[in-house]
Amino acid sequence: MAEAVERNVAPLPYDEMRDHDGDVRAHYAALQARLNSLGADELAERQRTLERFFLLQGITFTVYGAESTTERIIPTDLLPRIIPAAEWDRIEKGLTQRLQALNMFLADIYSEQQILMDGVVPRELVLSAPSFRREMQNLYVPHKAYANVCGSDLIRQPDGAFAVLEDNLRVPSGVSYMLANREASKRVFPGTFRGAGVRSVDRYPDLLLATLKSMAAEWRPNPQVVVLTPGVYNSAYFEHAYLARLMGAPLVEGRDLVVHDNMVYMRTTTGLRRIDVIYRRVDDDFIDPLTFRRDSGLGAAGLFNAYRAGNVVICNAPGTGVADDKAVYAYVPDIIRYYLGEDAILPNIETFLCREPAQLAHVLANLDKLVVKAVGASGGYGMLVGPHSTKAQQDEFAQALRADPDNYIAQPTIQLSTAPCLIDSAIDSRHVDLRPFILSGEKISVTPGALTRVALRKGSLVVNSSQGGGSKDTWVLADGKELSP
Amino acid sequence: MMLARVADSLYWIGRYVERAEHICRLSDVMLTATLDRSEAATQVARIALAAIGHADADTIKNPYQAAVALVFDREEPGSISSSLAAARENARQVRDQITTETWERLNLIYLRMNDPRTAGTFADGSQAFLHETIADLHLFKGAADATMSHGEGWRFLMLGVHLERAQLIGGLLEVCFGDGRRKPLSDHFALTSLLRMGCALEPYLRVYTADMQPSYILEFLLLDEEFPRSIRFCTARIQEHLSSIARHADSVGRSGPDRLAGRLRARLQFADMDEIEAQGPSVFLGAVLDDCAAIHRALHETFVAYPLEERLPA
Repeated sequence: MAEAVERNVAPLPYDEMRDHDGDVRAHYAALQARLNSLGADELAERQRTLERFFLLQGITFTVYGAESTTERIIPTDLLPRIIPAAEWDRIEKGLTQRLQALNMFLADIYSEQQILMDGVVPRELVLSAPSFRREMQNLYVPHKAYANVCGSDLIRQPDGAFAVLEDNLRVPSGVSYMLANREASKRVFPGTFRGAGVRSVDRYPDLLLATLKSMAAEWRPNPQVVVLTPGVYNSAYFEHAYLARLMGAPLVEGRDLVVHDNMVYMRTTTGLRRIDVIYRRVDDDFIDPLTFRRDSGLGAAGLFNAYRAGNVVICNAPGTGVADDKAVYAYVPDIIRYYLGEDAILPNIETFLCREPAQLAHVLANLDKLVVKAVGASGGYGMLVGPHSTKAQQDEFAQALRADPDNYIAQPTIQLSTAPCLIDSAIDSRHVDLRPFILSGEKISVTPGALTRVALRKGSLVVNSSQGGGSKDTWVLADGKELSP
Repeated sequence: MMLARVADSLYWIGRYVERAEHICRLSDVMLTATLDRSEAATQVARIALAAIGHADADTIKNPYQAAVALVFDREEPGSISSSLAAARENARQVRDQITTETWERLNLIYLRMNDPRTAGTFADGSQAFLHETIADLHLFKGAADATMSHGEGWRFLMLGVHLERAQLIGGLLEVCFGDGRRKPLSDHFALTSLLRMGCALEPYLRVYTADMQPSYILEFLLLDEEFPRSIRFCTARIQEHLSSIARHADSVGRSGPDRLAGRLRARLQFADMDEIEAQGPSVFLGAVLDDCAAIHRALHETFVAYPLEERLPA
């Protein structure tokens, strides 16, 4: 980077392992010592062991080629990312606070809409969002837990503080990688792992099941829980099967379901069996062709009416997407203050709403510095990363922004923190983010672990797996047990 | 209680895995036999290929080419590669219902079959490759037996294995002893090869010694009570699995497949070798294979594609 000629020099990214003087942070010391004792060959060998583990487990996605069909694993990095206890404590409190407020927000906008009447969040912003589901109006949701499973994307800013980049309240995925990466790391680094005091993530499936059951506990003492998948060709199918297996819940597809008299059943070998809770991994649009998209064969006809009638619970509730809308995101700190009377523990990233003329003007003047995102898009698509873009791309976005400002937001380009990764048998740093998983039913719980996504291309800030991203295990350390050499 | 779709997939995994193993064995015996150029060797190739419906003159002349196609040809639904892909696809769909140990075995076989280097491995040592694949398939069945609960799901899996096996051995016996043959099989080499195709040579020798008599071989592969690849053994297992499944399904006696399997088991249990030979083995084999096909259909109608109207709650 030509630092000398730029007046506003971007601060250096925070490095997870080393401080600005290049010294290894205390909680990374043991890992560093281990890495020093292993040669390049040894590391490469362990990386192969890791990849073999994923391949054998079938943690793969299918690549359909002209000649043949091959299976690839999602790139997984050998070296764990380590988070000390005190930092995690703050993350946990912040995420709990945030989801609590977002659930209250959802309960409010689908009933009294007090927050809109008080003008805290613009009414038209919420009501015109495609993810707002009128069908959810005045529908009873136990514990007001709309988003039972939430995966929020955090990033660490150059000053070392974590901030929330995005909330995922629809059907967040990636938790199976949190679990599988952990399983793999225990095999590959058993020695280092043993002494490290890493908090366990094993209880996630158990807690997920308890959360799902708590959603029907008021009317069914021992509810039948199922996982609804779009099927084996879905890119997250492995995760659906994995969670079903670890929870001991049947993995159903739309074609296994029958709705009769507003009750939902699955076709078993012994006839029809009633279902009480559906952990659906199918988007809102596809769960019921009678209520949402008519051409969908992934859900079951009549499912939503059964839900309205209170005979089945759909988790996450339909319509939660309105609370992770990229424009609503900008208001989350206000939402937290409105419902809880507290300041947000985890800050947002500064966000410019292009729907506001003054902010649009600022965005248009600074396209080369900002990241512009389409409100409706996800997965790293429909995005302009200003500093890495060409003039032509900027012009294209400028045109789109003027044509449909409501559809865009912009944020400063954040230098995601970097963490050491094994790249071609050598250790090099890459940008990472952090996706912890939060469950909410009768109560809210944050599993002490996360999916750390890695932008494997050098210098890249895009961590999405669809755009060349990989992942790595995330070690959250227990209190008072920082890694010691 | 399990999903109907899942039961169906488990059943098909059993069938496909058994089919792949059988084709491996036929190919192996054929390739080993045809290393010699002799009339008997050609006869063995003809039997192996006829048992899977590929016995045209050209194919018989090129047993190696035939074997390559039987192993790798994905266009051919009966090939080993196709069967393993189908088994693994079904396993992926019921991944939550089979243990990791079981899944890993099948996935490993599949990954090896699809490895670009495998064609070279096969060319270097076809029999070694086939042997290893058979051994891996045994490991898969062993893992299923040792790690899965022997409940409904496992029963459907094993039902697929045994029904497929009964039909495959039945098909092989028809080729060797059916009416279609111009002259009875008598050559010693052809007879031992037939036993090898049924993985039956060593167990046969223990019962009948090295006395290779066609009628003994027929009796052994058809009616032996203890040999796991005899049709009688298979039908006894089919009946056991079905009556256990029917107990789960609470449909003992009223379901079709249960009754059909009981009848078939009795047919084999009380069969008389003299009668079978007097009327010609074709008649008996034909009846057995018809029963197997009827069980297959009834299974689907009873447990998988049943009419919903009958099962809706009142």
